[in-house]
Amino acid sequence: MIIISPYSKALLSGKQNPKNYPYWEELIGLIKEPIIQVGIEGEKQLVEDFRKNLRISELRELIQECKTWISCDSFFQHLGWDEGKQGIVLWSVSDPLIYGHPENINLLKDRSSLAENQFLWWEFVEHQNDRFVKPKEVIQYL
Amino acid sequence: MATRGRYFTTLPLVLNAIINQTRPVDKLIVFDDNDEPKDMRSEMIYQYFFKMLDIKGIAWEWAYAEKKGQHHIHQRANMMGFDWVWRVDDDAIPEPNVLETLYSYANGVNETDDNYKVGAVGGSVLTPPNLFDTINVTGLIDNIDSEPNIQWGKIERVKQVEHLHCTFLYRAGVCDFNTGLSRVAHREETLFTYALHRKGYRVLAVPDAITWHMKNPEGGIRSETKKEMYDHDEYIFRNVLQYRDKTVVVLNCGLGDHLVFSHVLPSIPNAEVFTCYPEVVPGRSIAEAQHLFGSLEHLNVYRKMDQWKWKGSLKNAYRKLYL
Repeated sequence: MIIISPYSKALLSGKQNPKNYPYWEELIGLIKEPIIQVGIEGEKQLVEDFRKNLRISELRELIQECKTWISCDSFFQHLGWDEGKQGIVLWSVSDPLIYGHPENINLLKDRSSLAENQFLWWEFVEHQNDRFVKPKEVIQYL
Repeated sequence: MATRGRYFTTLPLVLNAIINQTRPVDKLIVFDDNDEPKDMRSEMIYQYFFKMLDIKGIAWEWAYAEKKGQHHIHQRANMMGFDWVWRVDDDAIPEPNVLETLYSYANGVNETDDNYKVGAVGGSVLTPPNLFDTINVTGLIDNIDSEPNIQWGKIERVKQVEHLHCTFLYRAGVCDFNTGLSRVAHREETLFTYALHRKGYRVLAVPDAITWHMKNPEGGIRSETKKEMYDHDEYIFRNVLQYRDKTVVVLNCGLGDHLVFSHVLPSIPNAEVFTCYPEVVPGRSIAEAQHLFGSLEHLNVYRKMDQWKWKGSLKNAYRKLYL
């Protein structure tokens, strides 16, 4: 079983979070194993088994049960690391050297896509699909 | 220099004194906090000042402040990217050698001192005719209620102290002024210099650097008289002292940040934690921290990483902030 945590925290402005991976449907289509999606109420359901609003202790248990996990840069990548379970993190504008963990597989298309200021609100950074690696590249690391 | 209500009283005296320092400032910035600020370029005496600054090659700027108190002004100066800031009151007139003398201690009392960095240097701040005998004053924070400030008398020899007030030279960008204080900013210099001391920097009271503090009853950046403001600031000051044996940790940040911090926490001695996610990092509420200590910005890890132009990991940023 593989966990996916597709979305980073929603922005107050209603704009799309620039850290949200845009190719989930395509990526999910390439994964040949059971998938559990974790997230919160209001997020788009991408797979049949969508577990919403789990407590941290429940997420920890789920991580221990999974083969691996895939996440954008959200709290989940820290939780996976904290549990000692290696996963794949899909980066775009935030810097994996600052916010990532070398124990994970950190996929960043190009450092030139990183936001100039890493410490401001993400509200000020536009979402761009071409900042992310494509699903076929992700699947190689699974 | 922060100024309010003293355009035509003591401010011209102070400007003249700054222009005539034996060690000129690299830049003079006047933060104008007047309720109704004026364009001083239209005043003849100020035209002379500006001309003298230009002739002497001293860069200058007249900056209009936010009317939030001088702690906000000094924090602005503190973050402007200078190595050292000489803060001068608008009714405190330095003798011509003051900056040169203070700056001569910036790298330590002697050449072998470089392992123990100096954070702030202050000289005597004398208010005639009240000259205190401060020869036995310790300058320790524990004695703040029982002895006069060491700067109120003639300083005869270099002394390491724990706090300064009024006017002094300080290493910029190391500690923050507490912008959670009220507009009167009671104790702001004490809190600031004590923070430098706590951070391991040497705070020095030095001889032969006299500033004459006129305490002009008109105007002044602290011209507010509301008792509640002073009480509020005193409360914060006392809380800082009460928690001085602890490492106050403020996690006013996201859930993931808490998870990363949880790996640093075991290394932090005597931590008193204020947290957004007690289920991840146990502790008291952020609101309580704000009530106790005023501003928490100096413990905002994102603000600090921005200030440090940080390139390392978040975990190491927490280490730098708290260890």
